[in-house]
Amino acid sequence: MTVVGYSFEEALVSLRRSGRSALVSVGTIAIAFATLGGFLLLSVNVQGVLDRWLQAAEMSVYLHDTASEAERVSLEAFLRSQPMVAEVEYVSSERALERFRADFPELRDVTSGVGENPFPPALEVRLRTENGGDAAADTLSRDVAGKPGVSDIRYDRRWLARLVGIVTTARLVAALVAGILMLGAAFTVAAVVRLSLFARRDELEIMKLVGAPFSYIRGPAVVEGLMLGCIGAAVALAAIAILYSTLSRWLGSDLAGYGVIGQLRFLGLTEFVMMLLGGVGVGAAAGSVASRAVR
Amino acid sequence: MIETQSLAKTYGRGMYALKDLNLKIDKGEFVFLTGPSGAGKSTLLRLLLLQERPSEGEVIVGGRNLSTLGRDEVQEYRRTVGFIFQDFKLIPTKTVFENVSFVQRVLGQPVEQQRRNTYQVLKWVGLQHRLNALPEELSGGEQQRVAIARALVNEPHLVLADEPTGNLDPDLSLEIMNLFRDMNARGTTVLVATHDRELIKWVGRRVIHLDQGQMIGLPEQHA
Repeated sequence: MTVVGYSFEEALVSLRRSGRSALVSVGTIAIAFATLGGFLLLSVNVQGVLDRWLQAAEMSVYLHDTASEAERVSLEAFLRSQPMVAEVEYVSSERALERFRADFPELRDVTSGVGENPFPPALEVRLRTENGGDAAADTLSRDVAGKPGVSDIRYDRRWLARLVGIVTTARLVAALVAGILMLGAAFTVAAVVRLSLFARRDELEIMKLVGAPFSYIRGPAVVEGLMLGCIGAAVALAAIAILYSTLSRWLGSDLAGYGVIGQLRFLGLTEFVMMLLGGVGVGAAAGSVASRAVR
Repeated sequence: MIETQSLAKTYGRGMYALKDLNLKIDKGEFVFLTGPSGAGKSTLLRLLLLQERPSEGEVIVGGRNLSTLGRDEVQEYRRTVGFIFQDFKLIPTKTVFENVSFVQRVLGQPVEQQRRNTYQVLKWVGLQHRLNALPEELSGGEQQRVAIARALVNEPHLVLADEPTGNLDPDLSLEIMNLFRDMNARGTTVLVATHDRELIKWVGRRVIHLDQGQMIGLPEQHA
């Protein structure tokens, strides 16, 4: 029998014998990987939504209710003449209200209660992001602000950029938290493997005395850690899948208004495999460290 | 086969378990190591099995200086030595067959060879009918015979036994000694540590006396 076959066989026996402590170990690994996977899933989806929002970045030029048709046409012409403007669309107050009601049906009553239409008419401007970026958009924003009939300007890209910054920071914090949790999980696995080594101390002593190669003595400990890590990561992935499926059903209608629903996705095959391999790696490393107690 | 040169082992501050020990055991010999408790018998066996390293001097077995062996070489060396302890050191969760075949298993022997060798050696010690018994289901004498089978399954050149009859009654002790005599007759060098002088007389082989870590008197030969 090869050392690999022997190690797997002995590791399975040891896992069965470990019982509750093995469950604790799988649990801590699962928590660590569920945290990591959860952040990863959130990050992938938030990034997807942000990318779509960034692609559709618009400058909204709100007009006074009193703005004349001539002022609107002149402003529209000015905007179209700008090199960084790709498209200009006029959205009347009525259309803005219709759009709001369609996007947020549950808030329909709010607008009905106001009496008059609260939405100002606007020109929605799609920008060519490659032409000068935020600085050029700022200049354009300033130029447009001085034009007659303009009441306010909202430039989405600026807050989106801030949001991207926040998401990036959150992602770093998440990676740090997941890293700490994983370290904790690795220590738990190492402790469990050590316990099973302790339970097998007589056997290990005899193995040493009969001259068994160290690969046979330590192999089962490494494989035990590897199995714990793999099972923990698999449990985490299953938990994330269930959570994802449940949340996307519950939040479906709420997210629909933000153009998010239908665009959400679960972890891809690569991320899935990487998580499992991560579990295997963390577990095997912990098992390997624990097995060094056998000298 | 075994040679020690100015061998010493100390514990703590200058407490000698063995002191300036020079002995020689030839290949194929059957030698008893005797002396009172604390004489250094077990320490010498531990040094020969490399469970411990000498504080001073050299231990040479089969031409190899044990002090120079690295970790993996120690394991390689141990495969050529069989050991038997007073408390048998059997794995309680494994059957008789598994306790013996386990040695070959961890050495990566093919399964068929493991089975054949294990059965043969268990038959030799008279336990072929208890293959599936657990150690707790065996008598002391049977457990020691399993330990002897385990020590012999790899056909070692040297067998070390530390008080192998210490937990057995006189009849069983003689039975075990007969097994040692048989293995020695097959050419295996045997070194048995015991304080049972009756047993030594009965077997009648060379005796090395140790007292307070030193060899005393001349090596004795019983007829």
